[in-house]
Amino acid sequence: MEIRRDVILKNFLVESAEGLNLMEQSILELESRPDDNELIQAIFRVVHTMKGNASLLEIEGLLAFTHSVEDLLDTVRNGKLAVTSDVITLLLDTVDVLRKMVAAAGEDKDEHDAGARNILARIARRLKENEKPGKGKSAEDKPEEGPSPLSVSEAALSGSGIAYKESARTLRVDVEKLDRLLNLAGEITIARGRVAQMLEAKEQVTLEEIRDAHSFADSLHFEMQETVLKARMVPIGPLFHQYRRTVRDLAKSLGKMAQLRIEGEEIEVDTSVVEHLKDPLLHIIRNALDHGIELPALRKKKGKSPAGMITIRAAHQSRNIVIEVADDGAGLDRQKIIEAAHRMGLVEESGKLTDQDVYELIFESGLTTASEISDMSGRGVGMDVVRRNVQALRGSVTMTSQPGAGATVRIRMPLTLAIIEGFGVGVGDETYVIPVDQVIECVELPAEENDIARNEGVLQLRNEPLPFLHLKDHFGIPGDRGGRQSVVVVQHESSRAGLAVNALYGATQTVIKPLPSIFQDVPGVSGSAILGNGRVALILDIPALLRDYRAQEAHES
Amino acid sequence: MTVATKETVELEQYLTFLLSSEECAISILKVREIIEYDTVTIVPKMPPWVRGVINLRGAVVPVVNLAAKFGMQEKPVSKTTCIVIVEARFEDQGTIVGLIVDGVSQVMELSAEDIQPVPDFGTQVEMDYLLGMAQVGRRFALLLDVDKVLTTEELLDLGEVSSHAENALTGERAEEEPPLS
Repeated sequence: MEIRRDVILKNFLVESAEGLNLMEQSILELESRPDDNELIQAIFRVVHTMKGNASLLEIEGLLAFTHSVEDLLDTVRNGKLAVTSDVITLLLDTVDVLRKMVAAAGEDKDEHDAGARNILARIARRLKENEKPGKGKSAEDKPEEGPSPLSVSEAALSGSGIAYKESARTLRVDVEKLDRLLNLAGEITIARGRVAQMLEAKEQVTLEEIRDAHSFADSLHFEMQETVLKARMVPIGPLFHQYRRTVRDLAKSLGKMAQLRIEGEEIEVDTSVVEHLKDPLLHIIRNALDHGIELPALRKKKGKSPAGMITIRAAHQSRNIVIEVADDGAGLDRQKIIEAAHRMGLVEESGKLTDQDVYELIFESGLTTASEISDMSGRGVGMDVVRRNVQALRGSVTMTSQPGAGATVRIRMPLTLAIIEGFGVGVGDETYVIPVDQVIECVELPAEENDIARNEGVLQLRNEPLPFLHLKDHFGIPGDRGGRQSVVVVQHESSRAGLAVNALYGATQTVIKPLPSIFQDVPGVSGSAILGNGRVALILDIPALLRDYRAQEAHES
Repeated sequence: MTVATKETVELEQYLTFLLSSEECAISILKVREIIEYDTVTIVPKMPPWVRGVINLRGAVVPVVNLAAKFGMQEKPVSKTTCIVIVEARFEDQGTIVGLIVDGVSQVMELSAEDIQPVPDFGTQVEMDYLLGMAQVGRRFALLLDVDKVLTTEELLDLGEVSSHAENALTGERAEEEPPLS
């Protein structure tokens, strides 16, 4: 009996999380279309399902709470209560409390906390006022009364985080896709058996035949891999929609007006990409609202619509996904960024900097604090974190801006994080993997450049200077450097450098394994892969290596 | 351990092993498995006692050398060198970690009475990492607190200033060099 309750509870947690996301979206839509009865019905259904489940699972507190929420929704449905902005706020706060209660139910806690009691009191007041004719409209339901369940900024900060975590690790997959996988698994078993049989009877078969059988099995295997990756793909829309709430709440707390426009929500990406994009996007959107969008009065003066527009759009670009967050706010202030960077000693001569160079400065860590103190438009709040997160996923982030007309942050990421085409190199006894798309070419290191005393140097490559470093020394791998060395030329965006290594193993498909959490911030390493011989190889984080190297150079010169 | 106490006192099992020449023990409930020592992939820029990672049936698991962490004389890899896979807590989450040990000795049963508090001085291991001491034959075994061994601050600090940490470690070693036996 106990076990069955566990199963039901687990389903309930997942279902409720989905339901609450739907409810939140519906409430936000209801704000712009208050007469849409279908939306109210959708909200009602979510609450009703939760109530049913709560009663089944005997979660008394939740049962009572959902019952009261139903009462409120019923009056809205009957047209007795008008959908005002306050009602929307009340409903959204209710969603937050429900999320908390569902999460608590998952830990077998069932109590009304201050937040829940506050909501219940507000609902009761609403209903009571509504019964007195003519008084319903005049009474203002201020969220500030009593202990507020979630301060606006807190809700905006966490987005819809509480329940998201629970549901993020599960995935609904088309049964058709699973059937295809099952078929493939069967076919692979047969193909494997055939190869084994041939190897067993090796006198009667030619090598050619075995090779054929193997390559057939190989192709099946490849198809299986593709299908699994496809099964992990989910549309990015639901992620984007979560930010509607963020924009609404945050704009309100800042005294601004803003709308969120979503484009390309049908684009599919790997589910892990969605998880990892959540926080960086939240940072960027908060930034856009906080520093980009101007106050309504100022916008009017500039001849813009008082409500700012933040557009978030996704699109495919070859094997990448590109996500843009654009706002129509004030844009970046070149001069102020340069001043802040100058104070921190990041730049010396500002005259030579192109606009792009200046926007790059935004992503430097520390720039933000300096600018906050000086109270300039500190557009870079947390942007270094955004860049680091995105680069950890082998992506890149850039920024463009038009003064007075807005700024755009553009994130480019691979569609899947699970598999890369990797290039293996040997350093001492260690093997490292470099993502193939960052490898330009490999050349031999001339003996005269192999200076034991230095762990870096400059190479002449077709009359262009190419800085390089000895990976072995850079990583402090013990042992001699060895005789012949090769240089792998790597590139990220516009910077190029060489990595001197002992051996080149060539390109293979590499399955990425995340490093254990204690290695989260190892400079120059983005993850790990398991090699054919069972050993672990580290995957090099080329952008970070190049950045390190540049920083070192600057330090020395 | 007498027969009389066995019935009334709750006994807990501990795995004992050698770190350098020191007998150490950890609760068996923390131990997942013991595997043969195999080449460890170096993770650069980590403190010297964090040896790197191994492949444990498809999972990438960090491996640490506690002898190096506690500033003991390190022994070269031998036939008896093992990796004890334990479940430790790191940042409030269960983490699987491999401990390099110079040899696994036995599993012994200890009651709460058998465990004695750590003396203020005389042990090679910092008190923070110890739960107590227990008598094994004529010697004492150090009961390690696996959860404390991987403290966050240390790893965070060490990630940035690994060279600094190295100095600190060697410095510690110099101070505690006089052997206790």
